[in-house]
Amino acid sequence: MIRSMLIAFALAGLTPAALAQSDAVSAADAGETVVAKVNGMVCDFCAQAVTKVFGREDAVESVDVDLDNGEIKVAMKPGQTLDDAKIESLVRKSGYALVAVERPSA
Amino acid sequence: MQQNTADFASLHAHYSPTFQDSVGIYAEDNWGSDWRFAGVHYNRLLKRWNAQHSQANLYVKAGAGGAESYQGGDSELAGFVGVAADWETRRWFVSYEARGYDLGFDQDARQSARIGVAPYIGDYGDLHTWLMLQVENQAEADTPTTVTPLVRFFYGVQLLEIGYTPETDRFLTNWIIRF
Repeated sequence: MIRSMLIAFALAGLTPAALAQSDAVSAADAGETVVAKVNGMVCDFCAQAVTKVFGREDAVESVDVDLDNGEIKVAMKPGQTLDDAKIESLVRKSGYALVAVERPSA
Repeated sequence: MQQNTADFASLHAHYSPTFQDSVGIYAEDNWGSDWRFAGVHYNRLLKRWNAQHSQANLYVKAGAGGAESYQGGDSELAGFVGVAADWETRRWFVSYEARGYDLGFDQDARQSARIGVAPYIGDYGDLHTWLMLQVENQAEADTPTTVTPLVRFFYGVQLLEIGYTPETDRFLTNWIIRF
């Protein structure tokens, strides 16, 4: 009897509605990703400077630099963000020039 | 940063409070012109041009400290000023630097230029390799003009250059570590 009840509860948790809710929670947990398109990043020292400057921000979870496409991909902590002006300021502080900010997950 | 070239060896440790400024200490043993220098060093990025696939920079630099001659005598107040410029893409590299020294007991100057090409384009974090040719001119040196082919390896926070100068039969080694 108890075993049957446990199986029923487990199946109830796997309904499509429950799965969709679970995905939404995961997305919110993952935080926003911001892509800054930047001019002038041509070497690893450039990428290191950018990673260091963005990494000091409390809102930033991780930084990934794509030198091929001149992009800084910034993963934010859940519920946090950096506005465009702040991103431009951080790019300038790193020594480079901001071209555009994209927010793919918005 | 440590350099060991055809005419001199140097050691440079610096701190960059902003991407435009660095201050530090600089020591140079110049056997090409028979003097040694040690002092403080300031480097200023005057202008950077950021383009989609390239970057160009214009720097000024200055140092002040003491110098002594290989011929003996007391250490004298000395200083230097210099300009440097470079342009680079992920494939090509070109640079030029000129310095003038007032050593108290003498004056000296040198200039150098480089051209480099990366045989392959690595991603961020990969080992990067550059093939370069350096031409250096130091009017007071025993061999005023030298040409040095060199290989630059760039991995993580470290940059290592190894080359050979036939005119002086010397190996070039430069090493930079960035914290």
